[in-house]
Amino acid sequence: MSGSGPTPAQRLTLDRLADVLVPEGRNMPAASAVGVSEGLLDRFLDAAPALAEPLLSLLDEAPAEGLDAFVRHLASQRPGDFAVLSTTVVGAYFLSAEVRRLTGYPGQQPNPLSVASEPDYLDMLERVYERHPGYRECS
Amino acid sequence: MVTQGHQSHVLIIGAGASGSVAAARLAAAGFEVVCLEQGDWVGPADYMSAQPEAELAWVERWNPDPNVRQGLADYPLTGDADVRPVMYNGVGGGLVQWAAMWQTLLASDFRVRTLDGIADDWPIGWGDLADCYAQVARDMSVSGLGGDPALPEMDPYPNPPIPIGKIGRVAAEGMDRLGWHWWPGANAIASRRHGSLQACQRRGTCMIGCPENAKATPSLTHWPSAQAAGARLVTGARVTEIPVDEQGRVQGAAYLDRDGVEHFQQAQVVMLAANAVGTARLLLLSASSRFPDGLANSSGLVGRRLMQHPYRTVTVVCEDPLDSWQGPWGQVIYSLEFAETHPDRDFLRGAKWMVMPHGGPMFAAAEYQEAHRHDGFEAVWGANFHRAADEVFGHAFTWGIQAEDLPEDHNRVTLDPTMCDSSGLPAAHVEYRVSDNTRRMLDFNVARAVEAAEASGAVSTLVRDVWPTGIGHVLGTTRMGNDPQTSVVDRWCRAHDVPNLYVIDGGVFVTGGSANPTATIMANALRVTDHLIEARASQEIPA
Repeated sequence: MSGSGPTPAQRLTLDRLADVLVPEGRNMPAASAVGVSEGLLDRFLDAAPALAEPLLSLLDEAPAEGLDAFVRHLASQRPGDFAVLSTTVVGAYFLSAEVRRLTGYPGQQPNPLSVASEPDYLDMLERVYERHPGYRECS
Repeated sequence: MVTQGHQSHVLIIGAGASGSVAAARLAAAGFEVVCLEQGDWVGPADYMSAQPEAELAWVERWNPDPNVRQGLADYPLTGDADVRPVMYNGVGGGLVQWAAMWQTLLASDFRVRTLDGIADDWPIGWGDLADCYAQVARDMSVSGLGGDPALPEMDPYPNPPIPIGKIGRVAAEGMDRLGWHWWPGANAIASRRHGSLQACQRRGTCMIGCPENAKATPSLTHWPSAQAAGARLVTGARVTEIPVDEQGRVQGAAYLDRDGVEHFQQAQVVMLAANAVGTARLLLLSASSRFPDGLANSSGLVGRRLMQHPYRTVTVVCEDPLDSWQGPWGQVIYSLEFAETHPDRDFLRGAKWMVMPHGGPMFAAAEYQEAHRHDGFEAVWGANFHRAADEVFGHAFTWGIQAEDLPEDHNRVTLDPTMCDSSGLPAAHVEYRVSDNTRRMLDFNVARAVEAAEASGAVSTLVRDVWPTGIGHVLGTTRMGNDPQTSVVDRWCRAHDVPNLYVIDGGVFVTGGSANPTATIMANALRVTDHLIEARASQEIPA
């Protein structure tokens, strides 16, 4: 990540904003509990450095109290800023190894194809062939 | 001082789908070929696909929208458009980021005026492209199953189809219950090692770059042979103007290198292959006293009739796990059930459907949020946020529905009067409205896709409105035709106004069909290039 990066105060604010969007529930941890404002945030901003400046401005702007209302205001009145915040929170959240374990997501891993000599759908395809009127003639 | 390049036989502008085909063919035939590409080479070392952060590639660096990505080679797109075009600028062009779906046009697509009384007929037919469709499918290592009764007969694909997997099976069973057309998808993704491609590893990152080199892109399939045969590819070359001589023949192209140094590449023939937005922009940038409205624009049609295949999706959520973050992210199956005009419907022409996986949990969440965007904050955030991962992730697939948008003069590319790219050239200004016909077509098809989802046993569906960014299909801005008053290029894609200027990208499409256009763009580029080679003795060139 380029620049000086988020300050501790900005990280703390992000934790509080993130939990408005992603609280604990359905056996899943809250955003702050997995560290979205820590190393996950740094990894996120390494991948999307252009979002750093608008994100940090937003964190500086956030009030000390009433963060729930602030997030809702962004969502309804400032969609561009809300997209910066929500993309960061969601992107960082799903980088968490704990979240991936709980959701059963291994990442985009290689998994070689197995090409069958005879696909198992040929019976259905035969019915497509039988009922189709043929392509539209043009002459 | 402007540096002068040795005169080539043929100068190609753009190293994407069409330019690559032309370069390889011409070089193999012994022509001296130079290709100017404003972007750079890209390959596995540049991709984020094998990193844990792969899903984040879409946020910025590999976002298909150049206005978001803002790469060095990108130029801004301005204007008020219901659908904003997307593209990639680099060796391979749009095929760097494509999903590799391989689909020929329908036979009827070439005769829309004759059959349906709207738009125009092409000056060529499906049969004129048949051999070229087969050749480019071999060159692109396409995997698929022939025999689809909705299409004319064609040569077998070089590789067996990619398995339809769990998501294809569930989708196909729904179509089977309804008695609707479906067929295993053809994709320019190698199901086994073939040509320059390795076998697909199902990583599911096709659109942000395949680290296994299993997806066809011209840097693998065309440029190695083109360069071995002598073609010269100049990257980082941003064309600024295509000037003409006193006889009205193009002389080559002026361009800037990465350092802003001016060059001039002379050529006997120029082929424009910069996509339907970029080519129109270059023609308009090349206005002169002889061509005050833009080069090759006596018809006034350069930049007009932009078509983009407006796109909606129905994501089908199922009870059983489908492992649907796995790839390939091409088309697993497709349907042409509603691709033709039908007298009982309140719209003309139709749409193509295709089944795709939905990606990782970030994508699942985004799909869920977008489908519920009008339902308020509570529906997708806070206590409901985890529903996306819990219910959708790994349990869903998407029916993508791409509509045939008919050509309309007011959908157009012009030069922006104020905004410029990093070289000081006017940005492309795009005006595009989704027509009432297209909206009715999409509404109808979405309703049918929901029925198909129910027939597949869906527990819920996530329906999205027209996507505000395009799917990389930009067509029609330099249409082909026999009449110089109503078209920009002739049936051989030579400009009516300029005898040694050709346009070979998707701009020449007369109508767009509903098929993914790459197969047709590449086949047509091959057809036109072969004709240029055959007719070389009669080709007019500058003095």
